[in-house]
Amino acid sequence: MSLLVLGANSLIAQAAASHFAEAGHEIIFGGRKQDEPEKYANDFSIRYKTKCRAEYIDALDYPSHKKFIEDVLAKTPDLEYVLIVFGYLGTQEKAQSDFTEAHRIIDTNFTGVVSVCELLAAEFESVKKGNIAVISSVAGDRGRQSNYMYGSAKGGLTVYLSGLRNRLFKSGVNVLTIKPGFVNTPMTYGMPLPKPLVASPEKVGKDIYKAMLKRKGVIYTPFFWRWIMLIITSIPEFMFKKLKL
Amino acid sequence: MKFEEIELSGFGKYPKAKCKVTRPPGIFDINEVLKNNSVIPRGLGRSYGDASLNDKGVVSESLLMNRFISFDEETGILRCEAGVTYKDLLDTFVIRGWFPAVTPGTKYVTMGGAIASDVHGKNHHNVGSFSSYVISFKILLASGEILDCSRTEHSDLFWATVGGMGLTGFILEAEIQMKKITSPYLTNRSIKLKNMDELFDKLEEFDKDYHYSVAWMDIVASGSKYGRNVLLLGNHEEGSGLPDKLKLRSAKKYIEKKISVPFEVPFTTLNKVSITLFNSAFYMAAKNKIEFVHYDKYFYPLDFILNWNHIYSKSGLIQYQLNVPEDKGKEAIDKVLKKVVAFGGGSFLAVLKKMGDQDGILSFPFKGYTLSMDFPVKKGVIAMCKELDQIVLEYGGRNYLTKDSIMDEKTFKQMYSGLWEKWMDTKIKYDPENKFTSNLARRLGLCPS
Repeated sequence: MSLLVLGANSLIAQAAASHFAEAGHEIIFGGRKQDEPEKYANDFSIRYKTKCRAEYIDALDYPSHKKFIEDVLAKTPDLEYVLIVFGYLGTQEKAQSDFTEAHRIIDTNFTGVVSVCELLAAEFESVKKGNIAVISSVAGDRGRQSNYMYGSAKGGLTVYLSGLRNRLFKSGVNVLTIKPGFVNTPMTYGMPLPKPLVASPEKVGKDIYKAMLKRKGVIYTPFFWRWIMLIITSIPEFMFKKLKL
Repeated sequence: MKFEEIELSGFGKYPKAKCKVTRPPGIFDINEVLKNNSVIPRGLGRSYGDASLNDKGVVSESLLMNRFISFDEETGILRCEAGVTYKDLLDTFVIRGWFPAVTPGTKYVTMGGAIASDVHGKNHHNVGSFSSYVISFKILLASGEILDCSRTEHSDLFWATVGGMGLTGFILEAEIQMKKITSPYLTNRSIKLKNMDELFDKLEEFDKDYHYSVAWMDIVASGSKYGRNVLLLGNHEEGSGLPDKLKLRSAKKYIEKKISVPFEVPFTTLNKVSITLFNSAFYMAAKNKIEFVHYDKYFYPLDFILNWNHIYSKSGLIQYQLNVPEDKGKEAIDKVLKKVVAFGGGSFLAVLKKMGDQDGILSFPFKGYTLSMDFPVKKGVIAMCKELDQIVLEYGGRNYLTKDSIMDEKTFKQMYSGLWEKWMDTKIKYDPENKFTSNLARRLGLCPS
């Protein structure tokens, strides 16, 4: 059984994939050409002595997605696991004044993922197996002034995945929504985050691996974000709108 | 490019400096930083002093560039990016029968850092420092040019970069020769010795029989106990002598359990009483014996306690490591030790070892004896270290730049006389504008301040 990773340069994806590799699964690293997914494939094949290869995909080049998925499936008929991690945080302030930035945030985090997921869903539905895991975000649980562009794209993604899970359940295909909190990755590098709340990519990667094997629906990682978000989503709107979050 | 402004220090947590830090994912980003800033590359920050600090420019971490590129199972030649660590090497290759030919006392060191410090291990007297097993490396120069360096290609840059403290360029990739092993275990022989005379005799006697040798010295005991030590000699176990239980374990991947010192203790727990107890306890507990020891315990005893440097409270520690020539080596070590004992000792034990020949231009090790000690930063320590500097100088010795945090320019240039000038010629040739600089480089006059 093989794992397809979309967003090869993500530290979280690499951490999750390392567990699959150690268990002997073949890994296909998909990513943009400039992110050099072949470097990760090469590294994994040495580190874990497992079959690995790289394929190029750009989340924003929707017309290319169909051929990409067909090619992957042709070369890897036993594809069972897919982990989609590509995303773009962008800059909230820039996105407010420059629609190109807002567009890119929405397209990378939402439209690009939907495009790929629909193609995978059709395939997995017909063969009645498969396991799709997608990284959404706790930021999608409630819009906040500091990052509602990213948050709304992820929020939309969360709702989309919920529907997809519902649709594919009867076909035996699992859809996992992953909601990480703060993780120590290049995306958050340099941000003034509360240190005790920042998780390592290794921890989050392991949580994802376990959740995929257990065929879970939604996970918060680390787990305590479920409680943090429960509090945040419980604040009445008339109060919430006055907060500086 | 994203930057983080933080108060940064080396592993000794002394000195500290406000630095702009970045973690580039690739060459393009390093070049971007170099356009407008001076840079010091940094790996895991395991050098003790200010070698990886740069408060007048940028500290550029190599940690995202940590991929294996190729490995030849027949020859044991590994090609990897500079951010790959000893831990990566051990986790991946021990089980396949390959071991890093030279390893420092911690596995939290990157290949880039190992080259820049030209690290040495317990086998220096037999095989030399890390650079002996570096076949080649790729380095990014201040000009943006990328050069392949080896003993035959840009050899001047090769020898200035090994031990060059990251000041010649940003090491991108390295090609390393690994060593064949048949078991993850080592045979360790401990010999309890009463004084330094006994130690120096034994070092001579066992020089060639054991691949690894190091002595742990009590640096508190005085009087009749002065200079007592335990000599530890080791060889890689060939496997035939191993009991079945260990053979079975060695076939599996080694799972480590770690404990951690989660925060800095608010005051120093190291006082005269505790360090005397520690030093004595080690000697008392030691036995003359031969045993099988797993490589993890053998080479990296302190890695078992993550962040062990936290026991030194906020003020940090000073590692002092000297190397003196073979001739009169015992006399020099004796003088140093007497001063340290009179001062009231350090903290952990001192480590003494015999060294082989020199490699890189600024590489620390050369034929003779090395002694390393650590002291909590407190009143009188710096002055005492300066006095030690004078003894080291008097005997034609030198200090290890990777550990140093207090030497001044004059002392350094005396200790590395004839070498720093030669190194500077190459530095200026490849980095005329001193784009690569650090707090250490400016303190020691290797770069203009």
